[in-house]
Amino acid sequence: MSGIVRVEDLHKSFGGIVVADDVNLSFEAGEIVGLIGPNGAGKTSLFNLISGVIPPDAGSIILEGHRVDQLPMHHRARIGLARTWQNTRMFHSMSVIDNMLIATRRYPGESLARILLRRRSVDAFRQEATEKAMVLLERVGLADKMHDMAIELSYGQQKRIGLARALMSDAACLLLDEPMAGVEGQAYETIIRVIREEAQAGRAVCVVEHNISFIRDISDRTVFMFNGCVLASGSVDELTRDSQLTDLYFGGEHPQ
Amino acid sequence: MEYILTVMVLIGINVILATSFNLILGYGGLMSVAHPIFYAIGAYCSGLLAIHLQIPVPLSILMGAGIAMVLSFGVSLPSLRVSGDYLVIASIGFQLGILHVINNLEFTGAAGGLTNIPVLNEGPSRSLVFVLLIAVVAACAVLLVGWIVEGDYGRAITAMRNDEEAFSALGRNAMNIKIVLFAIGSGMAGLAGALYAHYFAYVTPEQFGIFTSAALLTMVVVGGAATTWGPLVGAVLLTTLPQAITFLGLPVSIMAPLQGVIYTTLVIFFLFARPQGLMGGTRGGGGLEAWSASAAFRARRDAE
Amino acid sequence: MLTWGILGQLLWTGFAAATYYCLFAVAFSLVLKVNKIWNFAQAGVMVFAYYSLLVAFRHWGLPLVPALVFGLLITLAVSLALERYAFMVFRDRNSSILTLFIFTIVFSEFSVYLTELAFGTEPQTLYPSLLWPVDLYGGIAISHWDLVALTVTAVLMLILYLFINRTRYGQYLIAVADNENLAEIYGISRKRAYGVSISIAAVLITAGMYLFGTKAALFPSTPLQHLLIFAVIATILAGIGNVFRAGIAAIALSLIQAFSILVIASKWQALLAYILIFVVIIFFPRGFALPRKLSGLVRPSGRSAAVAVADATRD
Repeated sequence: MSGIVRVEDLHKSFGGIVVADDVNLSFEAGEIVGLIGPNGAGKTSLFNLISGVIPPDAGSIILEGHRVDQLPMHHRARIGLARTWQNTRMFHSMSVIDNMLIATRRYPGESLARILLRRRSVDAFRQEATEKAMVLLERVGLADKMHDMAIELSYGQQKRIGLARALMSDAACLLLDEPMAGVEGQAYETIIRVIREEAQAGRAVCVVEHNISFIRDISDRTVFMFNGCVLASGSVDELTRDSQLTDLYFGGEHPQ
Repeated sequence: MEYILTVMVLIGINVILATSFNLILGYGGLMSVAHPIFYAIGAYCSGLLAIHLQIPVPLSILMGAGIAMVLSFGVSLPSLRVSGDYLVIASIGFQLGILHVINNLEFTGAAGGLTNIPVLNEGPSRSLVFVLLIAVVAACAVLLVGWIVEGDYGRAITAMRNDEEAFSALGRNAMNIKIVLFAIGSGMAGLAGALYAHYFAYVTPEQFGIFTSAALLTMVVVGGAATTWGPLVGAVLLTTLPQAITFLGLPVSIMAPLQGVIYTTLVIFFLFARPQGLMGGTRGGGGLEAWSASAAFRARRDAE
Repeated sequence: MLTWGILGQLLWTGFAAATYYCLFAVAFSLVLKVNKIWNFAQAGVMVFAYYSLLVAFRHWGLPLVPALVFGLLITLAVSLALERYAFMVFRDRNSSILTLFIFTIVFSEFSVYLTELAFGTEPQTLYPSLLWPVDLYGGIAISHWDLVALTVTAVLMLILYLFINRTRYGQYLIAVADNENLAEIYGISRKRAYGVSISIAAVLITAGMYLFGTKAALFPSTPLQHLLIFAVIATILAGIGNVFRAGIAAIALSLIQAFSILVIASKWQALLAYILIFVVIIFFPRGFALPRKLSGLVRPSGRSAAVAVADATRD
């Protein structure tokens, strides 16, 4: 396996509950991997482990060839990782456009020294970044909301901004946590298109979703998790035909 | 007239203290109770340097501020690398610890305080000159903080304060910002302390304890966290109000705790009723806004 | 000259003083674990506990049990009011942690000023005289106070231990501490758990303040500036969530402070606690038993330590 992201024997438990049970997984450039499973299966925990929100107990995480499991969150992001969140996590004191501008890969204007000494290049960069943000907002259909306070938009709209925000840094790997939850009808097609375009551009994308038909539409490969384990991997049809898995998903015991 | 000028000096000092505290607490969202101790460090270090090493007063003032700034790393570095919660604990330890040292060390005058501090200026109109100086320094303080929090850097500070984890996930290092804000804010407090010491020529440890911490919190919270004018309004109000109360002629043993009760009650009231303070707007403010009415909050609550 | 006798005496006295530190630490740690709050307002609760006991003993001359009951009722009332009208409100509003910190610290400051206003700034003791009968055992002076303190603390800790581990309600507290949303799904009332936990803390605080006040004099600012510090350090040393270990850590800290008289002048002893804060934060931020990874260099994390434990189990 040579993926952009490789997870090897990843293990994490909290006070007796195992959220990642020696997980092995990898995502390659250009592919969209769907991650499904009942609540409590460990899907978001896996995202948290990969992005660095929680440290693993054992195992390794390799991102673009670098071993990152001991690195802090911001370091991993700079190597080439971007994610979205289940509860959007818009910065609530800022407008939509500011939420976008804070997500750039480089940020010369966020250093007092550089503001003082390199005024012109800081301004030029801000100009570039604003244009890029506009393009991304346009792609998700929210360019007209640019100056609204991000927190005043609807949940689904914030989801879309979250996706656009994750694209600002040109990260090689995208982790999307329930990007479709709350997204209203017409925007559905738009978001699918954006995610496909990003994969075609060479990113490795992993999507957690409960909407099975969405996963079927979009993913090249689907992984089923339960109780912190990867139980099966294949196409959505293969997985849904397996009655054991559907039992676990729809009628299974809660892991906790 | 002299009395009014003295009050104006105090207002100026408090403006510097409140503005710098607002940078740390209001804009940065960093909870520290150690601001009074950096005020003390500036005062004592500058005073001691002038007394024992005969360093000219303007230089010793700058050195006092510099020492306060450097010592701030002693609080921010150990605690911020772990998590934001630990900063408040470290600041409590630092505040109480240094205060204990000042209170017990002969060199600093112990509980009696440091006396005979050389003054910055002398002469018949020294108060007036000093008032003008303080006004300029206070104005610079307000402008400096205003400059720091505008533009791209201000956006980074706000994002860090709003949601540090999401901020880190975007590749930003929150710790650097926190350390810078803490250093600049503490340095400014040290400057205020040094200026105080070389005007009044006498400082005691009592001036730098929890009473000052309560007063500063009141100025920032009541005035308005994360606003330009909030600390100014807070400082003016809280310097003049006690002066008004002195005219009631109450005994001193009642005055001090009464002021304390008033300050703390005001803070608590504002925390519940108007967290954005007097000068804060209802949207996009400092770290204390209650945004329970927001759509995202409702969505998150419903989704769980 | 250092003799076994002196060491023995220090050990015994250190243990006896450790009793109230243990109670305060367990109270603080419990509220952090269940209510998920660094309750710096505990210093304020301690002040209310002490001064209500003072009024009962010295101003009204009540006998022991009614006075204790009165003190306990006041402490319970203040604690429950804090939880219901302050903490719950801030939780519902999704207020920032900063708001909570400011509130808890300002509440404690408020309590100090209120009592200074009402009772003056002079130190006060609960009994007019602090002299307790002392017996000598093998050269070590054992005061009846020591025995009372040790017995009270041991009994309270035992009751608490049985409550948490053997009763259903105790298990509810643990469930809410681990994952309050999941506990709600299983029908456990979060609010009631918060109320129970802060009430337990109130009991421990009242007991602790009674013990302290019958041994030494208290300034209104003593809880905030001295007593609570050990509770906080002990909580961190024990690892967040380990309530009983926090009590043990408090005992260890108290012993360290007792023995420090051998090397430090008494006026600098208080500094020890403040220095310990930094030692603990730098070297043991996650508790004394370090994980197998590197010691000393802990990875920076932007999350509140308590919050991390709580929503780690959430998928």
